[in-house]
Amino acid sequence: MADYSIWVLEYCYVPEYHKSGVIYGAHNQGYVKLPYCYVVIKGRDHIAMVDVGYNDKEYGKTLGDRFGVENWRDPKTVLAEVGIKPEDVDTCFITHAHFDHFGNVEDFPNAKFYIQEREISKWVWTMSLPDRMRWMMVAVDPGDIVRGVGLARDKRLVTIDGAMEDVLPGIDLHAAPDSHTWGSMWVTVRNDGKKDSDDTWVLAGDLAYQFDNLKSSGAVVDVEEMYTPVGLAVGSQANLILATEEMMSQVGYEARRVIPIHEERLNDTFPSRTSKEGLRVTEICLADGETSKVS
Amino acid sequence: MTNQSHLFDRLAHTHKPDCVLSLEGPRPQAVPAPDELAATLGSDAIAKYAGACRPIYEDLRRVIGQVSGLLILAQLTAKRDILDLPELQNCEIRLKQAKDRLSLLSTPRGTLEHRAQLEAALSFCLAAMKTFTDIRGREALDPAIDLTGKQIERAYVHLQAASSEKAGLAMVDFSQACCCGHR
Repeated sequence: MADYSIWVLEYCYVPEYHKSGVIYGAHNQGYVKLPYCYVVIKGRDHIAMVDVGYNDKEYGKTLGDRFGVENWRDPKTVLAEVGIKPEDVDTCFITHAHFDHFGNVEDFPNAKFYIQEREISKWVWTMSLPDRMRWMMVAVDPGDIVRGVGLARDKRLVTIDGAMEDVLPGIDLHAAPDSHTWGSMWVTVRNDGKKDSDDTWVLAGDLAYQFDNLKSSGAVVDVEEMYTPVGLAVGSQANLILATEEMMSQVGYEARRVIPIHEERLNDTFPSRTSKEGLRVTEICLADGETSKVS
Repeated sequence: MTNQSHLFDRLAHTHKPDCVLSLEGPRPQAVPAPDELAATLGSDAIAKYAGACRPIYEDLRRVIGQVSGLLILAQLTAKRDILDLPELQNCEIRLKQAKDRLSLLSTPRGTLEHRAQLEAALSFCLAAMKTFTDIRGREALDPAIDLTGKQIERAYVHLQAASSEKAGLAMVDFSQACCCGHR
């Protein structure tokens, strides 16, 4: 029995992204394709998303010209691949406030948004620091926080402090403070609805970019496998490792059940197809009675 | 003019109460950015202008972000002690710095419209800060918070109009972002 269907939907990509950004310390090891994705969770009379991408009209040209981001498509086009309209989405879990995760709230007019309070409060703090410490403000758009004011006014923004169980039935939020960002979080779906679930999926946000963050060679310390954190952390790589351990423990250390959304190889592990726009649709699991969107 | 066209004009020019354009003030509008002006007006004076704009832009960008974040926290926690945070005091200092810097900004030919957007962003930041800090003496928080939100949104729209990635006037620092290192 599965309560929810989960799809990972690519909405643009960087064809050649330096590997050291993905894997901490992987300098001079070339480039990997970096897809930008969000997640749709459908079931129990809800349609939820994990992150909402960014809006191309704000920075599309900059990202295209300077950073090689290609093939951005709007949520209407991307969500249509799984038969959903943006206005059908009732809940959005924002794993962190970077522009490519929190940058398109206006396209989801009926959704309530959840974000860690720490992600907002520490952002305010970093903005108050001297200019020489500007690095700590990286990749956050003040415009997204401005739009957050409107959401809060409309009672469509919920800030949470730490973990929250059953935000939707069988769906929990978990905090990873001072890791990739100040108030990052991940989403856990207990797909059989049980407290001690045998069918758990973790949607990692940017706490893991790719499977290599969860499972890489441990030969250097004479173990079979070990975790290697992502390259970017305004908190610390240590806290990323601690978060990874907790995510992995939630899924019984079955790495395929922790879903990293910047992973190009999701299609090696899960049924996938490429849309006519050239973007990948990956089906993580299907709820009882739901039809496949990739076959 | 017919009655119908009167009605159309009135509807077209009337904003909903929650629209940021319902506030009095200059219109936010796309203006020639310094990098575009450099091509037609020569680069030296314009480059100097763009360089002088950068710290002002950065100050305003931060004030807008900070006030917005504090507003979210104030709305969702309904606590007045947000006003006692050192972050708010730092924000007031930065706002004064922006005002001082903008008053000293030389404006070469062709840049007046650009400067006007910065001035408008500053004036709405000042208004938002005043409304926000006046919350201290108020019984009901919501109306002041709503007005602050509208003022800060309006400041953002003006600053966005004055943005120019090539001139170093950009809302988002992508330098270390997850898209920064493509080949």
